[in-house]
Amino acid sequence: MNSSKTATLFAMAILAASASAQTTAPTDPQIAAIVVTANQVDIDAGKLAQGKAASKGVKDFAKLMITDHTAVNKSATQLVHKLKVTPEDNPTSQSLKHGGDENIANLKKLKGSAFDRAYVDHEVAYHQAVLDALDKTLIPNAKNEELKALMVKVRPAFVAHLEHAKSMQASMGK
Amino acid sequence: MLSPRGVAAFAFCGIAVLASSSAFGEQRTHTVTIEGMSFSPATLHVKRGDMVMWVNKDLVPHTVTASDKSFDSRNIPAGGSWSRTATRKGTTAYVCAYHPTMKGTLIVD
Repeated sequence: MNSSKTATLFAMAILAASASAQTTAPTDPQIAAIVVTANQVDIDAGKLAQGKAASKGVKDFAKLMITDHTAVNKSATQLVHKLKVTPEDNPTSQSLKHGGDENIANLKKLKGSAFDRAYVDHEVAYHQAVLDALDKTLIPNAKNEELKALMVKVRPAFVAHLEHAKSMQASMGK
Repeated sequence: MLSPRGVAAFAFCGIAVLASSSAFGEQRTHTVTIEGMSFSPATLHVKRGDMVMWVNKDLVPHTVTASDKSFDSRNIPAGGSWSRTATRKGTTAYVCAYHPTMKGTLIVD
């Protein structure tokens, strides 16, 4: 399967999952699980790419994803403990995890510039999908104000990562 | 894109604000807040000798790195800050070395 097809399928999966979650609005424990999982799958992909990427720009980006998403998850975990919320698995978090696992399995088969392209394509699709989920499902449905505020606070990081990934994608050409 | 007249008017405003805000020639400290993956204010006018402090209110680390390499904060952790005295007149563009979408300008008069 080519990389852009995988990225598109991933984006569709997460959007479908968040759309179905929308009909039955996610609870705060479910939102917490989605946030933590979303960050974790990008940390995992970053760890693979940090070692395997061919270009320095892609390696640096992978390192940044590990740093930033680890920082976000640290704050999310601290908040969850403070609020005594136990993250609860749900279709969206499971879809994210599944999409992340598929991405890693696909990336492991690739090398060199093909790896870089597939990783970056997926990063674009992933950040776009998470932003859509934040805007359409997660932020509007969060009941706890601190949980909502945390997602509002981290949203600009997802936007910056998306733009960064898109600019790398453009520089790689078609 | 500003017209030449627009640029002149903008520069004049900057001088006027500066003249009124540091009339006594004392060293002032200016703060640039790093929040929501941006520098605020994005463009800062200071007088030579003034101190500028960048405060990182984001959850992720950032840097303040001059495009011409004349200054570089290196890593500013979440909740951390970095200061420097404006020693050289002129306009310097800077970025966060980690997040290239974050851009700022320091103008020293």
